[in-house]
Amino acid sequence: MKHFIDTIKSTYGKYKVIVWIICSLLLLIFPALIPSNYVMGVVCRILFYATLAGSLNVINGYSGQMCIGHAGFFCIGAYIEAILATQYHINFWVLLLVGGIITAIIGGLIALPTLRMQGIYLSIITLGFSEVVRLIALNWTSVTGGAMGVKGIKSPTLLGFTLSSPKQYYYIFLVIGIVFIFVTNRIINSRTGSAWISIREDELAARSLGIEIKKYKILNFMYGAFWAGVMGAAYAPYTRYIDSTYFSLDEGFNILSMVIIGGQGTLIGPILGAAVVNSLTELLRSFSEWRMVAYAVLIIAMMWLRPQGLVGASDSVLAGDKMKKKKIKVLAKEEK
Amino acid sequence: MGTLLETQNVCKYFGGLKAVENVDMKVEKGDIFGIIGPNGAGKTTFFNICSGFYAPTHGKIIFNNNDISGVSPDKIARLGMARTFQNIQLFKYMSVLDNVKTGFHIKTESTMTDAILHTNRYKKDKEYVNEKSIEVLKKVGLSKYAETKAGNLAYGIQRKVEIARALALDPTIILLDEPAAGMNPNETDSLREFIKQLNEDGYTIVVIEHDMKFVMRSCNQILVLSFGQKICEGTPEIVKADEQVHQAYFGKGIIAGKGLQ
Amino acid sequence: MEYIINQFVNGICQGFIYALMAVGYSVIVGVVGFVTFTHGEVIVFGAFASFYIFLLCGNNLLLGVIGSFAASWLIGIFVYKICYERFFHAPRHIALICTIGVSMLLKNIAQIIFGPNKKPMLNIIKNKIYSFGIVEISKVQIVIILTVIILSALLFIIFMKTRWGISLRAVSQDKTAAAMMGINVKQTAMIGNCMGSGLAGVAGLLIAINYQTVYATMGSNLSIKAFAAAVLGGLTSVPLAALGGILIGIIENMGITFTSASLRDIFTFVFLIIILIFKPQGFSKKKGVRP
Repeated sequence: MKHFIDTIKSTYGKYKVIVWIICSLLLLIFPALIPSNYVMGVVCRILFYATLAGSLNVINGYSGQMCIGHAGFFCIGAYIEAILATQYHINFWVLLLVGGIITAIIGGLIALPTLRMQGIYLSIITLGFSEVVRLIALNWTSVTGGAMGVKGIKSPTLLGFTLSSPKQYYYIFLVIGIVFIFVTNRIINSRTGSAWISIREDELAARSLGIEIKKYKILNFMYGAFWAGVMGAAYAPYTRYIDSTYFSLDEGFNILSMVIIGGQGTLIGPILGAAVVNSLTELLRSFSEWRMVAYAVLIIAMMWLRPQGLVGASDSVLAGDKMKKKKIKVLAKEEK
Repeated sequence: MGTLLETQNVCKYFGGLKAVENVDMKVEKGDIFGIIGPNGAGKTTFFNICSGFYAPTHGKIIFNNNDISGVSPDKIARLGMARTFQNIQLFKYMSVLDNVKTGFHIKTESTMTDAILHTNRYKKDKEYVNEKSIEVLKKVGLSKYAETKAGNLAYGIQRKVEIARALALDPTIILLDEPAAGMNPNETDSLREFIKQLNEDGYTIVVIEHDMKFVMRSCNQILVLSFGQKICEGTPEIVKADEQVHQAYFGKGIIAGKGLQ
Repeated sequence: MEYIINQFVNGICQGFIYALMAVGYSVIVGVVGFVTFTHGEVIVFGAFASFYIFLLCGNNLLLGVIGSFAASWLIGIFVYKICYERFFHAPRHIALICTIGVSMLLKNIAQIIFGPNKKPMLNIIKNKIYSFGIVEISKVQIVIILTVIILSALLFIIFMKTRWGISLRAVSQDKTAAAMMGINVKQTAMIGNCMGSGLAGVAGLLIAINYQTVYATMGSNLSIKAFAAAVLGGLTSVPLAALGGILIGIIENMGITFTSASLRDIFTFVFLIIILIFKPQGFSKKKGVRP
């Protein structure tokens, strides 16, 4: 197995450029290869959730905070887009940014009171917040349309073309996803990213090194919330209709399960998680009530067997306390 | 040389428990300063107050002419104070090199925008960190472990990595919390040499230690704590001769009196 | 005015139920040392247990209380075995995510077993209303308040007077020291978890009686309420958690009196945020184990 992986790695090293060109070409012409609108819809969902789960992974996987009610931020972004687009006819592309920024600010305000406390307080606050946002969306009828939701959200246009079918939307989600991965990758490898990771690994040590824990935690949280807002804004015109039932606690758990199953602390993890969970959703469509049970069992199984997730960061606290066992192995080897 | 770190009447109470009470301390620039005391004497609590992890209940801490009582640890670190921990707090899943690189946080300034756009400042910072971290590792003599995961190293080496990471802050003073704990005599000797070396390089060092030999041989000034209170301060000779120190360590009585000889 | 006063009474009554939930919650957090997300689902199972007991055995409140306590106790064992037992020495987030997983599992299994619809609870207590001047209080409310007080007193006696109680308190203060004194820490933690769950189950029964309905998804928001109440006591102080529960009950009912009933859950959240801003450690002076 190891040999096999090594071969792949060395081949990849040799033909790196070609592999990248082929991959990007495949991604570009992908919609042309898939005739069915149904499959395309599923692919769009995977792409969309990959970024959304990725934004949650920034919070849960990189700084070791635990956000549970991510659906709340997603909801804010979606409603901002829907309301501003239908009532004030603001351009979709502008609203992506606006939705992200407002969501980030709200996220920062929510996280602020919990900064003095352990992470668990943030988890509960986000959980409660998610429910509160849904309740506000449901009850603030004059703005959000209440239980009727917001209807007739216009599809975005680009250079005169209207992008409405899943095939066209595929490119929107793809571009947002690529931008997300690109930007996040750069941040993770920078001073900010290493501060996040050091907080996750050992908060005490990070503090002794002069890292401003509170500042970086809130920065991290706002960054995650920003992308959740962006995805919300991108999602609203895709479905053309939103109401508060889209953003229940179950939706938050759905996103969370993608991150946990796919893997925390790596960029590829949430993408895999989105693919696995959404495929599972399609497979279990006829037993829809068992769907969440399946996710729950998967989450528990992950925690028992592989806490960092399928392709999560193995070399981190996320993987549990495997270090002791490994140390013994290393020592045994040295003795030989 | 002048005083670098000074505490005046520092107290820390946890509810009714007086963990540290009215401790005065003066650490001169360029000194090796030892803090000793029996178990539970409040040494680590005192350290935590000095480095900002606890706010003192009363009293003042002056570092480099700045009043730092109650200031947060990150600001104190920026002022030039680095510390290690009694139970080693390394990023044990990171390589030794990455551990040291993280230590350069306060020496660099690039922001998120710099990182996204790869500006000049970002590149400069990257270069600076890469260069300096290798330098630090060389200085400490850990170059061969650069790529090893910190958690997989032997105990004594982990201590050194922690000190190396503290050096990355470019501190004027380093607080070492029981650096020789759990080491065998050979390792302790090499650690003493190492600390002497650091001191000669211009770092002021404050060290908590249980190992009497270690403290008596390497420190110029010693502070003795017992039940949260200062019972003695001075050169090793003074401390050795002090009656109260004997009592704190060995109790009262004829046999106990012979203890430290 | 009358309406407001009666809403206040309703609030106190509801607050007593929340207090019972919160007491269970802080027992769990105190003894086990982990924060849990399963509390709401445990409450639902307790409520349904009593629902079926009343359906099968008729109007016997005592039997209902015992039944829901026992059912939740069993759920508590299940939660403990899956979420905590293996993870005492692992990083904390693992047990936390496990409780989220179990909460999802229990919630959806409850929906499958009990069906998604609301079920009307049997009228086990004859609804009689006593008036004291303008204050009106129903028999159901009196029963609820009495049940909570009796159970709390029982819990207090168990904690203070029995051997179990001593080991529970020892484990909640220092697991290592307790283990050195020969206390079986894992077993004691499990008992603590089960006791907390059991109390939550009875709270479920009381909620069902109070609202006259049971349904599988009613637990979602109760977890947050139990947590918010427990925060007042720094998550581990039992009496303050009870006080927090009563406060939340009052705040909620006063809140919806002046706004609309659909906003009920928002007030808990506001309460939680306010406490975290002004008194993040709660009012507990005791320096115990914090999660």
